[in-house]
Amino acid sequence: MRRTVFAFSVAILAAALVPPSPAGARQEAKEVLKIQLPKPMFIGTPRNIRTPNLEPITGRARGPFMVPVGTVLLSGGKPVTASDKEPVIGELSFVTDGQKSGEDGYYVELGPGTQWVQIDLGKSQALSAIVVWHYHSQARVYRDFIVQVSDDKDSINGVTTLFNNDHDNSAGLGAGKDKEYIETYDGKLVDGRGVSARYVRLYSGGNTSNDMNHYVEVEVYGLPAK
Amino acid sequence: MTKRAFRGLFICAVAGGLLLRVAGLGLRPMHHDEANQAVKFIDLLERGEYRYDPGNHHGPSLYYLTLPFAVAASGHSGAALSETTLRLVPALFGVGAIALLLLLAGGLSRESILFAGLLAAISPVMSYYSRFYIQESLLVFFLAGLVGAGWRYVRTRSGWWAAGAGFAAGMMFATKETSLILFAAVAAALGLERALRPKETGNPGAGAPPAVPASRPRLRAALHGALFLVAALVPAALLYTSFLRNPGGLADSVLAFGSYIGKAAGGGLHAHPWYYYVKLLAYSRFGHGPAWSEAFVLALALAGSVSALGTDSGKDGNPRFVRFIVFFTIVSAAVYSAIPYKTPWNVLPFYLGVLILAGIGAGLMWRAGRFLIVKAVVLSVLIPGMANLAYQDYRANFQDYANPDNPYVYAQTGTDFMRLVRTVEGVASASRQGRSILVKVVAPPDETWPLPWYLRGFARVGYWTEGAAAGKLEDASIVVTSAAESEAAVRELGERYQMSFYGLRPEVVLALFVRQDLWQAFIDGGGASGRGRTGRER
Repeated sequence: MRRTVFAFSVAILAAALVPPSPAGARQEAKEVLKIQLPKPMFIGTPRNIRTPNLEPITGRARGPFMVPVGTVLLSGGKPVTASDKEPVIGELSFVTDGQKSGEDGYYVELGPGTQWVQIDLGKSQALSAIVVWHYHSQARVYRDFIVQVSDDKDSINGVTTLFNNDHDNSAGLGAGKDKEYIETYDGKLVDGRGVSARYVRLYSGGNTSNDMNHYVEVEVYGLPAK
Repeated sequence: MTKRAFRGLFICAVAGGLLLRVAGLGLRPMHHDEANQAVKFIDLLERGEYRYDPGNHHGPSLYYLTLPFAVAASGHSGAALSETTLRLVPALFGVGAIALLLLLAGGLSRESILFAGLLAAISPVMSYYSRFYIQESLLVFFLAGLVGAGWRYVRTRSGWWAAGAGFAAGMMFATKETSLILFAAVAAALGLERALRPKETGNPGAGAPPAVPASRPRLRAALHGALFLVAALVPAALLYTSFLRNPGGLADSVLAFGSYIGKAAGGGLHAHPWYYYVKLLAYSRFGHGPAWSEAFVLALALAGSVSALGTDSGKDGNPRFVRFIVFFTIVSAAVYSAIPYKTPWNVLPFYLGVLILAGIGAGLMWRAGRFLIVKAVVLSVLIPGMANLAYQDYRANFQDYANPDNPYVYAQTGTDFMRLVRTVEGVASASRQGRSILVKVVAPPDETWPLPWYLRGFARVGYWTEGAAAGKLEDASIVVTSAAESEAAVRELGERYQMSFYGLRPEVVLALFVRQDLWQAFIDGGGASGRGRTGRER
């Protein structure tokens, strides 16, 4: 009882001695605002998809891309080499055969992990654009997509990187700042920037559907060497 | 076959089935449906809350039967719960269904039971879906219990077996409301067996159950009928009413059948042609992947069905029982095939009948080989057929568990999704807030699951179906969006966030946005090292 009376007295005394806060700046005890976040909605089994989707999932149609007058397709039928000497499915020649269908039988599949294909243009030429179709019968994203061009067959000296979305440098060629993108029938256009090169090498490190690497077609456009 | 040999081999079948069902249960990423069930179960585990939802999730037995396993493994914490613990429950019931085949003794010969057990143990479709945290393997277990206990009752007229059969029927209903289809199939099979029973001439004992008492006092039959009903009603009522806390639950479960009929008739996203199940089991091959087939089981089942036409069901088999199994299998398969709504796991209940018939077929072949040379020929068919099944089982569960080339992979979460989970966890670890970091998920519900299961340990995760409702995305350090919402998110978050894509399922891609400073901390901490993936996908 004595303790209670004592505590009560101290509290009244403290209240009397503490000066009141200036108007408009009341000092109140604060706490973390607890916000109830929305819970996930339950829903039944989603659709099981096995059919090809040729429509883009996101993004708009690519606008026109301007190139120097006289630009032609340089890569048609040109020889292709790859880090995977024995593709799991298809032939390396599919990469430059001009066939861009998304169906089975039109793509080459390279093994899992980081792999590359390289197109030999025969001679060094000024590049305007490179358009790549990895696999467009399904919405998926190819990882660590890097495009490098050079006059060195082994891609060691004088290499120019035109595109790199390996943002965590898992391919070991340096981290890139370019964005990942979802594959569509539009293909991915990479600006050639007028760089002169004989070899075009494209890297990838699997995709969002599996660990494998695919190419339906790669087209390299540029000004033919005179 | 001697009793001793039978026991030894049957134990091997059960042990094999156990191994194929419980090994590596954590390998496969959680399926959308599993995650739904798991998150609902967490409410029961953590808060003791369960309320039957007639629109979703089926019956309550799965959750209540998971409770003891979960409490033993991780206490009452949902965050500490693992996929392995959850999946252990259906896996063990899947094994239990094999063991329950022993109740069919007297109806089937020893050889038939043994072969049925072996085939059930190594059947890819049976083991694959026994490893799913869904109701199907429980339904099959209680169906086996109903048929087994029913058969024991026919042989013994014991009230205990009547109650056992009733309990199994009640648990079937408490597992899936659509078990009414199976009850109808059992009733139809009993009726057909009775109506089409061949007239017994000459040898009156050949087709009759051997131990049926001569007199059938009506009172006792009525008593046993009542016992069956009470034993069925009590567990179903207790579970559907959340142990009487939700009295309307039982009525809801019956009314739910109406909505399930509507869903089943329409088919919706899961409308498939009538031959879907037969094709699924007989032969599947997608793209460049390998072929999958349980045609071996189907062929043996056909042979077993033929045996129902005769009176030879083995030394200790019963042709009436075999005919019952044939009718049940045909009727249930026909009904499931006639319903436009089809998902591959719905094959399990009638596939139990197919497996029993296949066991009968294999037993028939075995008995036909009285000479050593014929037995050798029979074995030269059975052994490679079973080895092939076992290999497919291994592929389905340990290699291609998320590969769309596997016909049993249906709307399955891909392994790439686990990279998203690892990245979110890695970023959270690299941040000062840890698992209190704010995560915003903007995606339609069918592109959200199983994320809520994997983010169950995070204190602040919000889910929206549209970006406009989610407020400022930049309030959150981590944002996950559907591909459709990613464009708007890019516009809002710009270069301040690192964006990367991850596959949820075939054709479904999720975008992950991480604030740049946290992303850098994550990368500096070796974030990319967690890239390893397992399992093959096309």
